[in-house]
Amino acid sequence: MKFTRKIAVTAIAALALLGTAACSKNGSSSSSSSSSKIPAKITKKTTVVFWHGMSRAQESTLKSLTSDFEKKNPNVTVKLQYQGQYTDLQAKINSTLQSPNNLPTITQAYPGWLWNAAKSKMLVDLKPYINDKNVGWGSASASDINTDLLSGATINGTQYGIPFNKSVEVLVYNKTLLDKYGVKVPKTMAELRSASEEIYKKSNHKVVGAGFDSLSNYYVLGMKDKGINLSSKVNFTGSDSKSVINYYAKGIKAGYFRTAGSENYLSGPFANEKVAMFIGTSAGEGFVKKGVGSKFTYGVAPRPSTYNMQQGTDIYMFSHASAMQKAAAFKYIKFLVSKSSQIKWANKTGYIPVTKAAMNAPAYKSSKTSKVPAQLAKTTKHLYSVPVTKDSNAAYGQLNTIMQTIFAQAQKGNWDSAITAGKAKFDSSWKQ
Amino acid sequence: MKTNNKKAWLYLLPTIIFVSLFSIFPILRALGMSFQSGPLINLQWTGVSNYQYIFTDPEFWRALKNTLLYAVIAVPSALVISIFLAWSIFSKIRHQSFFETMFFMPYVTSTIAIGIVFRYIFNGDYGMLNFLLRLIHFPAPNWLDDPSMNMTTLILFGIWTSLAFNIVILMGALRNIDPNYYTLADMYGASGNEKFWRITMPQLVPTIAFLLTMNIIGAFKIYTEVYALFNGQAGIGNSATTAVYYIYNKFQMVGTPGVAMAATVVLFLIILVVTFLQRKMMKRIGR
Repeated sequence: MKFTRKIAVTAIAALALLGTAACSKNGSSSSSSSSSKIPAKITKKTTVVFWHGMSRAQESTLKSLTSDFEKKNPNVTVKLQYQGQYTDLQAKINSTLQSPNNLPTITQAYPGWLWNAAKSKMLVDLKPYINDKNVGWGSASASDINTDLLSGATINGTQYGIPFNKSVEVLVYNKTLLDKYGVKVPKTMAELRSASEEIYKKSNHKVVGAGFDSLSNYYVLGMKDKGINLSSKVNFTGSDSKSVINYYAKGIKAGYFRTAGSENYLSGPFANEKVAMFIGTSAGEGFVKKGVGSKFTYGVAPRPSTYNMQQGTDIYMFSHASAMQKAAAFKYIKFLVSKSSQIKWANKTGYIPVTKAAMNAPAYKSSKTSKVPAQLAKTTKHLYSVPVTKDSNAAYGQLNTIMQTIFAQAQKGNWDSAITAGKAKFDSSWKQ
Repeated sequence: MKTNNKKAWLYLLPTIIFVSLFSIFPILRALGMSFQSGPLINLQWTGVSNYQYIFTDPEFWRALKNTLLYAVIAVPSALVISIFLAWSIFSKIRHQSFFETMFFMPYVTSTIAIGIVFRYIFNGDYGMLNFLLRLIHFPAPNWLDDPSMNMTTLILFGIWTSLAFNIVILMGALRNIDPNYYTLADMYGASGNEKFWRITMPQLVPTIAFLLTMNIIGAFKIYTEVYALFNGQAGIGNSATTAVYYIYNKFQMVGTPGVAMAATVVLFLIILVVTFLQRKMMKRIGR
């Protein structure tokens, strides 16, 4: 018995220790260093650490842009650290927030990932930097960054981020096939349905008309076009919501619409001529081009909706860095969103330029390698982004799961019960 | 009463420090965190609200149900198949070591790589499996994109991946059986069936007990197989979500570590009880 008692005593002692450790943690409040002045020049050797999730062509372009910057600013060294794809990057940031000294100077991120960090004052408000004449542009309007994109990089109204690698959704279509069947490229959701029906019929049910890569975006933008913002107040079983869901579900039941399923993206089935059109990210054009090869001609058109989703990450700065590091990091950010950098970046990667000057530059618009630039002005008139509130990111992710369940049900029969079940999940995702 | 040697503690000290730091402390920390809410950087005590949340969350129940389903179906099936295969290799086939190596190959291959290959095999449109099924006029279900098929697909995949380890361990156990038993049985004219049930099986019980314990614990912790098979999601509409998948998602993606840890504690208790019951059962059989 003595041994078991010893174990019990040790366990209790350990628990007590844990309790005190947890309490003491709450006691010490995190000190947010309020950098008083922004240095006008980088006078000392300074290192900036940048966490990113860019691979392949994206990473190599980022590397070459960075070395251009380092040549112009010999005092600054930028350490690029690849953290894996977005989900990995998010997980890494989440777990490193516990030990702020291990955080990078700047990171790519969606604002929704950093909602908690902003609340704990771990991010730098970039407004003073934007307004600074030496390090920044002097004012937000002088930066020439698209205002929708810039406001998308705020958390609770504070400008914590600067948009960098942004994309929107576009309609990619099989031009050869559409011409063969005499189908016009759809401009509205109603036209998308009729075009899809026609293709499905004329191909003897061999080719599915259309599909959406991101079901979350499909739902959120469908609702936004009806004037409803994504929030916990959305009535998932309401008539507007139901009509958005039913539009897609009916198409799936009849066979002229489909989803990407476990393939995640429709560019694969599109290249194999299993689907004639799909709505996906403009940054995915490279995959389309590679898959299609010389099998047929593909085309790119604006997303057939009023609103378009602005996707992709912004760059955020953590507050633990020194004043000099922050200034150097901001100079680097400024360089990345400059006109020439953005044109190079957009042409090589398929992301959209974040400044108006770059977007309208002939070097970008007349691009021979990409079909996106020519359509961009038309499809970025009304941009929407997932609102940054508590649990909005979780709810947005949950929508994908809910839609998948509903649409899978639609293939078999009545999907009303799936919508009701979806409401419970949607509502509970806002209460975590 | 026996007392431990005082000096022994000194020799054990390094291990004790490491184990308590890296095994015991995390368990206690998880237990503590399960009573806290908020993000990792700002945890607050909330009492049992995390437990209330998970027990009312339909996703959690689905995760538990799927995990149990997997453990109950995949583990015994895999074990039976591997006993059959190991026994066949051991007793009937020449070039034993060649086949043993072949069956062991999947174990040294990364699950993610195997998952990618299986995604091609299971593909509903141009998968190898459906091609074969259509050839013999069988219905060809959509293994990956139909939520009602997702658990079946996962279980098939799980059985296949766990064969490798089981077969190698069983082969080792079979070799350790005293060949004199078989010689004696032959002398008395025992049939192959009798030899298997009267000699081989009883001798294998400790190994099977070990494999059952390991496999069941592994089944409760299944995550990589799901991730690999469904391309980074838990099946269509999360239909193949498992307990560990739920925990990872809540911890890393949703950013509610408290909820994740509450689920961890529940899973820990379930594994504890199941393992305990199973050991009792195996002891009784072994007697």
